[in-house]
Amino acid sequence: MAESLSYLTSVSSQLLSVDKISDDRYDCQIRDLIAYIKRSDKSLDTEFLLNNLNPSQHTLPYLFMLNLRVGSLQKKTRNTSPDEIKPGNDLWVKAVCFLRTFDPIQVRYAGNEWRRLIELIGQAAEAAAKPFLAVQVIRDAILRLDSLCGILSSVHVIFLRLCLLSRSYSYALPVLERQIFHFSTGQVQAYRKYIDHPLCSKNTPKDFFLSDASELSVKLTYRDHVQYFLYGGMIYMALKEWDKSLHWLSIVITSPVNDSVSKIMIEAYKKRMLAGLLGHGKLAPVPKTISSHVLKVFQSLTKPYMSLSEAFERNDFPRLRAEVDIGRSIWRIDNNEGLVSQLYNAYNSFLVLKLGRTFSALTTADVAQQAFTSLESSSKVENFVASLVMAGYLGATMLHLKSPGNATMLHFSGLPETYITRERGVRAWLAKEGQALKMITNGVDQCSNELKLGNENLQLVSKNQRWPDSSGKSGGNVIGEADGIGLEIDEDIMGDNN
Amino acid sequence: MELPPLSLQQLATVVTSAPTPTELYHTLSEYEAEACLLSIQDSNQAELLSQYYATFFFSHLLTDQIREARISTQRMPENLLQKDPSLQNCLNLLRAVWQRNYEQVYRVLRELPWSDQLKPLVQSYEAHFQEKTLKEISRAYEAIRPAAAATYLGLDPTSAAQGDSATVQKLTAYGWTWDEEAGLLHPKPVAEDPQKEARLYNELSEVMALIGNRRS
Repeated sequence: MAESLSYLTSVSSQLLSVDKISDDRYDCQIRDLIAYIKRSDKSLDTEFLLNNLNPSQHTLPYLFMLNLRVGSLQKKTRNTSPDEIKPGNDLWVKAVCFLRTFDPIQVRYAGNEWRRLIELIGQAAEAAAKPFLAVQVIRDAILRLDSLCGILSSVHVIFLRLCLLSRSYSYALPVLERQIFHFSTGQVQAYRKYIDHPLCSKNTPKDFFLSDASELSVKLTYRDHVQYFLYGGMIYMALKEWDKSLHWLSIVITSPVNDSVSKIMIEAYKKRMLAGLLGHGKLAPVPKTISSHVLKVFQSLTKPYMSLSEAFERNDFPRLRAEVDIGRSIWRIDNNEGLVSQLYNAYNSFLVLKLGRTFSALTTADVAQQAFTSLESSSKVENFVASLVMAGYLGATMLHLKSPGNATMLHFSGLPETYITRERGVRAWLAKEGQALKMITNGVDQCSNELKLGNENLQLVSKNQRWPDSSGKSGGNVIGEADGIGLEIDEDIMGDNN
Repeated sequence: MELPPLSLQQLATVVTSAPTPTELYHTLSEYEAEACLLSIQDSNQAELLSQYYATFFFSHLLTDQIREARISTQRMPENLLQKDPSLQNCLNLLRAVWQRNYEQVYRVLRELPWSDQLKPLVQSYEAHFQEKTLKEISRAYEAIRPAAAATYLGLDPTSAAQGDSATVQKLTAYGWTWDEEAGLLHPKPVAEDPQKEARLYNELSEVMALIGNRRS
């Protein structure tokens, strides 16, 4: 066994000097290493090797040993989640340590094993009713493998589900806030065969080593795709980031459909209605990309939510309360009871905000008279309004008056500092969008290269070469020709909109 | 960097050595998974858990993550949360902060029995809460009665209402002006941290540079 250990450590130690050896040599050595492990897997003492290998240095052999050990225990105990992998036990500790320290280059060669380990950790934590234990580990592993996190994988879906189960919503943000700009299609472009970048090369596009073929992700289905965005929308709702949740839920409801809409889409549509009311005091406009027949299906299946929204938007508090009571069982079945219960507070907040659009100043007694029949006393109204102003939800200032009646005046017109605050907000937003833009720009560059070298464009080029007269040019700039086609498509799109 | 195992001693070290509340929060959040593995059946572990979760709770408050503090209470072991006096105090405090019940916030912080380990954090939070509230009042009020200001800031509202000079002096020490005839205080807006501004400008410059590069 010492001989195996010596071989595994020496080969993987050489891999660590990745800057000193060429990509081809690295690729060759790592493939030999995998072949060696697969050849001798039955004779290896996995426990001994796990105790003597360093997961950050000997990532690949360590990962294989972990999988072999888990596999043999599963076979022995006939249990998919043996005791050793349960949280806190020996294999759990080893797996967690591995996922925190692995070498992301070596893992590219063992995608299936890496993914299986993540799935196992998730299952074990969930089985122990402690899903939180897997959340930080999986998040760190996702970011370690691909710091940009721009490619959707099955691990992302598992991760968001665990975040929801463990109520660790903000832990999902480092992954959620990275822009997804690639979806693994399973189809590898033909030209890729002719580009000789080994998996370990820093020039290898990330979508290549994260493709279905690498097995770092299982093949994503339609369901996985909509589920990911539904989960993301739900996490943003839990964090009360309504605009972001609306955006994520819009992605779900605008997903392509054949004849019928999916249950997940209906669920997203319901939640989106509530997010609109809670975030903006009204229903969010339906994206124009939803076809009319799909919209009709949505509307017919969400009638109780529609009635609730109408009552909210028309400032009809008695009806709102009645609708909330009538639909209680529906909200419970849909797991939207918590969101619906937040409507009362949102209703009161938006009433005050609406007054600000009509009046420039009111006393809090007037506010109580104009808006609130639900709150008992004017002092309660004053406290409520003060909390809105002090929390920054309401752009107004308050002025205690000299009069003996302890009156308070509310000035809705914002002071100059409101503009400063707004400007600061815009600046922060611009800076944030700038970061996103930077990442998307890199993605666009890559997509542009893909399009130039992609199957469709190559077919077009070969077609044009066969009929040189049809384009009016011979040879020439391929991209220029494609641009011409692009313009026609653009006009069609504009036509549809009109 | 690997953290030392979670223990009462380590917890005390983390609290005393963290240079800022943000760092305290980050270090404690790294321990949450380890805390999750402890059992409340073991009395020593239950004591450690109680201390850990209460400290973690205060680190949320000190970094103004009220919503996150509320969510974190939902991750605590239910039995511990219901029985442990420190965590019950935390829940009372959370409720008061969430509802913006200022009188109750100060009452919970000052009158409830906090453990010796938590007392420094409780005092830090009281000072932080006062400072935060002061900024909010300065932004929200053009003029405010001394009694109302005293309630917001945890001072004695009765003596403030009677025009007690010591209380008024405390409030004017914040740069507010006192209109004796009207019996009103005029708050002075508190300036924002200039470092934050500079950081935003730097980030914006990066964006503009990026746009410039792409155009060419």
